[in-house]
Amino acid sequence: MTSLARSRRLALAIYGTLTVASIVWLVPVATALMTSVRPLEEIRRGWWNLDGATFTLSNYSKAWEQGLSEYVVNSFLIALASVALTLSAGVLAAYAFARLRFRFRRVSYFLLLTTMIVPVQIILIPLLPWFKTIGLSEGAWQYLGIALVHTAFGAGLAVFILTPFFAEVPDEIVDAARGASHLDVFRRVILPLALPGIVSFAIIDFVFVWNDLLLALTLLGRDYQPVTVGLANLQSPHLAQEDVVSAGAIMAILPPLLLFAVLNRFYVRGLFAGGVKG
Amino acid sequence: MSSVHAARTRALEAAGAEPRRWAARRERLVPYGFVLPLFAVFVAFYLWPALNTIASSLFEWGLLNPWELQASGEWDFVGLGNYGELLGSERFWNAVLNTAVWLVLFPLLIVGVSLAVSILIWFARLGRVAFRTVFVLPMTISLAAAGVIWSFVYNPDFGVLSALVERLGLDGSLDLGFIHFEGGNWLSDPGVIDLGVAELRLVNLSLIVAGFWAFTGFGVITLTAGLTTMSQDLIDAATVDGARPRQIVRYVIIPQLRGPLVVVGVISVIFALRTFDIVWVMTRGGPAQDSEVLAVLLWKQAFAFLDSPQAGLATAVAVLLAALLVALAYPVLRGLRRERR
Repeated sequence: MTSLARSRRLALAIYGTLTVASIVWLVPVATALMTSVRPLEEIRRGWWNLDGATFTLSNYSKAWEQGLSEYVVNSFLIALASVALTLSAGVLAAYAFARLRFRFRRVSYFLLLTTMIVPVQIILIPLLPWFKTIGLSEGAWQYLGIALVHTAFGAGLAVFILTPFFAEVPDEIVDAARGASHLDVFRRVILPLALPGIVSFAIIDFVFVWNDLLLALTLLGRDYQPVTVGLANLQSPHLAQEDVVSAGAIMAILPPLLLFAVLNRFYVRGLFAGGVKG
Repeated sequence: MSSVHAARTRALEAAGAEPRRWAARRERLVPYGFVLPLFAVFVAFYLWPALNTIASSLFEWGLLNPWELQASGEWDFVGLGNYGELLGSERFWNAVLNTAVWLVLFPLLIVGVSLAVSILIWFARLGRVAFRTVFVLPMTISLAAAGVIWSFVYNPDFGVLSALVERLGLDGSLDLGFIHFEGGNWLSDPGVIDLGVAELRLVNLSLIVAGFWAFTGFGVITLTAGLTTMSQDLIDAATVDGARPRQIVRYVIIPQLRGPLVVVGVISVIFALRTFDIVWVMTRGGPAQDSEVLAVLLWKQAFAFLDSPQAGLATAVAVLLAALLVALAYPVLRGLRRERR
């Protein structure tokens, strides 16, 4: 027991405050959950009103049929493509930054890191005409287009998170593999050892891309939009479809939440890799 | 015998030198090969568009026009004209004011509340993980979904907030001269604070609270990491010396959390300045332009009226936004790095 918490009144105050704050913090989530499993007429009397409450999953099937399924599929396509691209280009670059010496190393590292601070708005406007010019604005090419932009924008975070993991691999292990080519050392020795870092970055990047609204809203045509844009389109107080919207919101929340729950350890570790190493 | 051997060695060396030089050259190129894929994507989809944004902010143009600088009829060079027009427009200053409200309140709320929560959780032995999960959970929720959820909370007819305010008898309007407040209209027109020089619209506060709810988890995670690496000895020493909990927090814990606190502060400033999602989903910048922040103004100017040649103005907003961000974030990050050394 922490010596400070010995005083009973202090402990009571701490737990009291935390409990009240936690309840307040959960109210929005409870609102969405309750709204999503009750019929619209009942919601209108307030979701906390449990008189004659009926439980239903029909909101979910309704939302799924009203186009949410396509949004979710698009979200998965975009997120998986972006993570795959960012990760494969990112691990290669991070390996070079961590273990190889070359000219312009510091400058290029710094340039990549600027993507973490400079807002996405600085590239947003010319992207649309730029995509038209290079043929990424039509059909399924749009998936590749937005994945490439996510790769460019995730570049800074990728090298920032991954480089310390590659630098952490002890020199002796790498020296033991002397004689093998760089690619072999990279693939057989370094990559497996840096796997925790790679997994944490993949999760963070997936959540990041899955949750993006601005790029998708700007770059993608109606049939290629992810679930965040779908929610923004559905959300309007005048449409009176809280049942569908809340079910959609819950479904949009689930994939990152599940990833987070299952791989919590990796996630937190990735967030701090950069900071701890600094 | 030995001379033959020496000659053979020399011959072998000469034969090997050529491939070895090739090998050395290849060796020198290897690192670039590793960096190239990421860097190529970075240049094509970040650096090039960014330079385009800066260059095109000097022109008057529209997004439906051909993307060729040679098509001079579509591209009117106006120098700093776009910037001049922005600085003279009321709508721009309205967006600046709303962004400024975010810029001040959002980081204050994040830093203050996440500091309090993480210290409380740190003192609480039992249920640490459960409490922390509650506060970190919203961090995984997209801001679009958070905006939707908070729109339910703010709903004037069946939202929990309106019901609570009504139950407590706090609904109705409040007029304190310079403050005007209308309970229930959380997202339409909850009122204004008249500062004389400018009117702060309270609808921004509703949006900031939603963003703050979604983002506090980041502060809690970061500060918790700081707390776990904190030296326990100092706290024990202070306790032995008879320091009260409040004094320990004030003089022992907070000074040791300086680094993480700065990180949380800087990142929430960055977040506040580029905020778009929450505003877009919940109000689209409305009612009228009451909650229009710079990022929303930019988007509307560039994409909402595609045929009017306002993209130049939008790119000028983008450049100003980026410059402001770098100016705000850079000194702090530099200072932090120096401190760490």
